[in-house]
Amino acid sequence: MAWVASRYALRSVGRNLRRTALSIVGIGVGCALALFMESMNRGREELFARAGAYSGAGHLRVVPEGWRLRRDPRLRLADWRADLAAARALPGAAAVTARARAQVLLAMGNHVVPLEMVGVDPENEPRTYRFVRTVAEGRYLAPEDAGAAVVGKAVAERLEAGLGDEILATTVGKGGDIESGLFRIVGIVATGSDDIDASICQVTLVDVERLTGLTGAGEVTVVLRDYRGADAARAGLAARVPRGDDVLTWGELSPEFKGHLEQDSATNRFVRGVILLIVLLGVASAQLAAVLERRREFAVLAALGMSGARMVRLVLQEAVALALAGAAAGLALGVPLLWLFARKGLDFRRFMGSSYAFQGILIEPVIYGDLGAWVVPWALGIALVATVVASLYPAWFAARTDPAVALRVAQ
Amino acid sequence: MSELILEARGVTKVFRQGKLEVPALRGVDLEVREGEFLALVGPSGSGKTTFLNLAGALDAPTGGELVVLGRRIGDLSRRQRAELRLRSLGFVFQAYNLVPVLTARENVEFVLELQGVAPAARAERAGEVLAELGLADLADRRPSELSGGQQQRVAVARAVAARPRLVLADEPTANLDGENAEILMHLMREMRERHGMTFLFSTHDPRVVEHAVRVVTLVDGRVAHDDPVAPEPPHEILPRIGKARAGTGV
Repeated sequence: MAWVASRYALRSVGRNLRRTALSIVGIGVGCALALFMESMNRGREELFARAGAYSGAGHLRVVPEGWRLRRDPRLRLADWRADLAAARALPGAAAVTARARAQVLLAMGNHVVPLEMVGVDPENEPRTYRFVRTVAEGRYLAPEDAGAAVVGKAVAERLEAGLGDEILATTVGKGGDIESGLFRIVGIVATGSDDIDASICQVTLVDVERLTGLTGAGEVTVVLRDYRGADAARAGLAARVPRGDDVLTWGELSPEFKGHLEQDSATNRFVRGVILLIVLLGVASAQLAAVLERRREFAVLAALGMSGARMVRLVLQEAVALALAGAAAGLALGVPLLWLFARKGLDFRRFMGSSYAFQGILIEPVIYGDLGAWVVPWALGIALVATVVASLYPAWFAARTDPAVALRVAQ
Repeated sequence: MSELILEARGVTKVFRQGKLEVPALRGVDLEVREGEFLALVGPSGSGKTTFLNLAGALDAPTGGELVVLGRRIGDLSRRQRAELRLRSLGFVFQAYNLVPVLTARENVEFVLELQGVAPAARAERAGEVLAELGLADLADRRPSELSGGQQQRVAVARAVAARPRLVLADEPTANLDGENAEILMHLMREMRERHGMTFLFSTHDPRVVEHAVRVVTLVDGRVAHDDPVAPEPPHEILPRIGKARAGTGV
């Protein structure tokens, strides 16, 4: 059998149905808006994390110790094959690949382009670097493609080179000598972003080893099935890689990108906070009106010996009942909205074209909201926190009722 | 001689309205012993309600000494006064003041719940006291479904359910017609005799005063007369209320 106080609280919520309905709608709308903001924020984070990961950074990267500070492309892993094996054994790994980088000058005729040449494993690279999945002209690299190169459209244009042309790559070798090698263009990539197209030059890993005289790979990049598991996966991988190698997350690899995301999230949190504050003020006003209307009743309860703490609990019980109804209303309003935006997405093409690049990462212009089981605890949490916090002052007000004064006034 | 339940010595109470000081009690001296059925009478503004509020630990006196059930009211904190009200005092108000969203039974049980009585015990006690007051058939009705007389009987049930030692009633019959007022007074006396409670009530109604064992008259915040009434009038009404008239609007 429920406590009489609980029944009292529950029935009190239904005393003024119009006010209760308005409060529930208010909480529901605020809840739905906050859910929508969170859904789009999650969708945007997922989109950015995916865009960042598949733009070459991966979610995790095994790098030589010291690379984090120096960012020197000539550094090589202590044992890249062991790193590769450890990364492939990682639970949740969707794709793993090894790379070696070299700062080169590409030249054809009297045209020169400075860039970072990337030696790759042609079989696995397209699974972690989406820009080379669709080659505009020619083909992508094959595993045994010695002396072959795939370049970005902007690189080809600056060199005035086309498919089948030979380009000269010059770099500083292992001992500090100048080393050169010839590469034939077998494919041209067009991503739609000049910045990104001007940075692409891929050859096989073996060719970079040959050109630089530095053996092995400089990084092992891991793309996870769920970016949210990056921190846990990092710890697991760090325990398995050989001494002398280090594991970084995508946030550490691209701190500017991570900072941009965090700034966006902070803005979202602020907007959510404003929404909740408005809901909170509305509920506080309605709850205070409800308490004022029942001042005589609270005076009688006080006269009967009800303590201030019990009175606070009583008003908060009413708030909890209101919050549960508000959360249900929030879910009823929010879930269809979230479903719509999870399915159709929020399209920014009108404002930013078919895509835009940020920090070398190509961002898709359609953000799809996230809809999952998380909405239930979120709705409950938002409604409960907003309503209970909003009810604290009315509850305190009720608890401070002086029975002698209130009953004298009532008479 | 029976135990002293209430002792007032030179009790004063002054209300402040801005800069104005309004004395409501100007030095009340009174002793109330266990089992008394005492009527506090006097004209409006004589200080009856103020004295009941002080006796009920709803308020603290401005001066003098007021001891209720061995506790000096002026020395008690808000929480201690609330605890005293909960454990040892019962209240009946002029306007019934039942919780409108609770049934008659729940209104009675609520006080027992506040006292920490176990669910089964409080249900049993509420049932018993409602039956004693002839309300067994109306226990599941809300106040809005009861007549004024029935509501006031529920209020009495609520006041006595926890077996308080002192029950304070401020104009308990003011909103009732003559017949209901008569019934209520009989019931209150029955409760007093059955459970040994002390009743202190204020009234204007001469028919109610007839039921009192002792009548104290307040005038201008002081005790003007203190008259014992003897012998006690008969009150054979409970069986009639309980069996024949329950649910008839009385």
